[in-house]
Amino acid sequence: MADTTTIPENLRAVAQQKGWPDDLLQQALAAGATPDQLIGYMNQGVTADQARQVLAGMQGGGAEPSPAILAKAQEKGWPEDLVRQALSMGAAEADLINYMDMGVTAEQARQFMAQGGGGRPQLDLSWMDTPTEWNTRARPTKHGLTLEAINIGKYGEVPDEWPYQTEMPRGAVPIPGVEGMGYSIFQKQEVWSDACARLYEEAIQRRWRPATDVPWESIQPLPDDLERAIDQICTHISEKEQLEADVLGRWEPEISYGYHEVKLYLATTIFENARAAEVFRKRALSNGGGLGVQSTGWAFRAVVDARNFTEMVAIQMVLLDSLTLAQYQFGEAYAKNPAERFIFSHCLQDKARHIAYGITHLKYVMNHRPDRREEVLRYLDKGEMMLLQDDKKDPAVREAFAIYFGGSTAAIADGMQVYRQMRKRHVEQYLARLKWATLDRGERLAPGLRAYLEA
Amino acid sequence: MPTFPSVEWFNAIKDLVNNSPEFRQLGTIDAVVGVKVGNKIYELTFEAFELTNVREAAESDLRDMDFWLEQPYEKWQEMLENIKKNGAADLSHTLNTIDLSMPEGFARSYDGYRRDAFYRFNQSLQDFFNASAKIDTQFAGAAAVA
Repeated sequence: MADTTTIPENLRAVAQQKGWPDDLLQQALAAGATPDQLIGYMNQGVTADQARQVLAGMQGGGAEPSPAILAKAQEKGWPEDLVRQALSMGAAEADLINYMDMGVTAEQARQFMAQGGGGRPQLDLSWMDTPTEWNTRARPTKHGLTLEAINIGKYGEVPDEWPYQTEMPRGAVPIPGVEGMGYSIFQKQEVWSDACARLYEEAIQRRWRPATDVPWESIQPLPDDLERAIDQICTHISEKEQLEADVLGRWEPEISYGYHEVKLYLATTIFENARAAEVFRKRALSNGGGLGVQSTGWAFRAVVDARNFTEMVAIQMVLLDSLTLAQYQFGEAYAKNPAERFIFSHCLQDKARHIAYGITHLKYVMNHRPDRREEVLRYLDKGEMMLLQDDKKDPAVREAFAIYFGGSTAAIADGMQVYRQMRKRHVEQYLARLKWATLDRGERLAPGLRAYLEA
Repeated sequence: MPTFPSVEWFNAIKDLVNNSPEFRQLGTIDAVVGVKVGNKIYELTFEAFELTNVREAAESDLRDMDFWLEQPYEKWQEMLENIKKNGAADLSHTLNTIDLSMPEGFARSYDGYRRDAFYRFNQSLQDFFNASAKIDTQFAGAAAVA
């Protein structure tokens, strides 16, 4: 039979290049291999000698079965010839015993081997001809091998619109039939910030560890009113940082894969929110006190209810995070011990990065979709009003900061002056950041916030 | 003994922090920072894990910096003497506290976004000035920078 097998011309041509003689080709074709498979093996570098060894194995030249596997085969109803065939195809005895113990029947094993299984994989390798951009050689910079450093050629092209519903990485090749993953954000202007790749690397490089980096042993007992004040501040901050993590976590799966730099940066933000929630909770529970009352949550609601990513960013990562940053800055200045100083100063750095993303995103939106200006200003109208509701309804946070700044309940009036300075600074910096993003609040700034400027 | 303020003084601190594992541990810092002492201005260029360049600059250069630190000469001297005495700034003399104590701010910028680099890299900058505790500083005197 083998002698009469016809060798297609394309197979013969490749075989001559690769040094496979005609008799070997005829033998392989007679054993059931297709011409395309043989060409594939030759292109992978399989030599004529290796092919002969495989064929010899298929014809019964495999390893002799051990008494153990023969006993197992008898127990499980696998005929001896099936075991020999599997071994000759390269299967290991231990694997076969496992298959038998797993309940694979002799019939199933025969079907599997008929499809080319049994230890020697049928290779396709068409994926190796995928037309992605090849020969890419990113080089480390002074910062190491950064996201920006690998944004080379096609891989660095961030499209204004991403056309794929799947999780396909940017620069890979799509295949048909993959299910959509439910993303809803496909436009660059909806999420982009020119700083996000740098901010991601910065966040990774400047990380810190609450459990071991904070000098917890420096915390000494405080007067009861001061301990209650810092614990109330910690309760408030822990709550709002956790909320920000939750909100950002909800938006992550909405962003399509074309904008992976944003997805990665937001992941670090969520981690930093979690770290802040953690470290303030730890502080509250580390010095004989405990947690205080929860926040009234008006501003939280404005963020949770945001139906649009830019709306969420404007309120959370510009308006509210600017307030949190001011709280951290004043918190460090009035810290009662090195541990609190460390906590506030390190959360300050993280929070400044969150704002940097927020404000660079708003600027990107204004530069690329100037028609959205009024929309963004409306989001800020809403956020400011909700923040002022918290001011009206939440005396706990205001009074706790005032006692912390003043040093005691008796000095709360002095502390309240510092509190107003903190709020003034928040509004000043919020407006300065918006101005950089070409957004002018002008007369639209909520009167309650304007009042802080005039204090 | 390097004199404050001078390029020589900043280069002495540069040598300390660029060889400091603690400074590197704080992470990357990318910012062009001005230091304004009276009529003297110095530009410090931080890149990745180190201070790469120090030079004397002009008033017109401030616009190109991310931000600059400015306070009266006497306050600079007080801050550095406090650092020398304590090994690091006490709570009243941190960059952050000084920034809050000045209505116009210690960190200033023409750019509302770039000024925030002061916050993002605050602990690296604090570590930079804290390193001055390891050298002996001669002060030029207010008249020298007037």
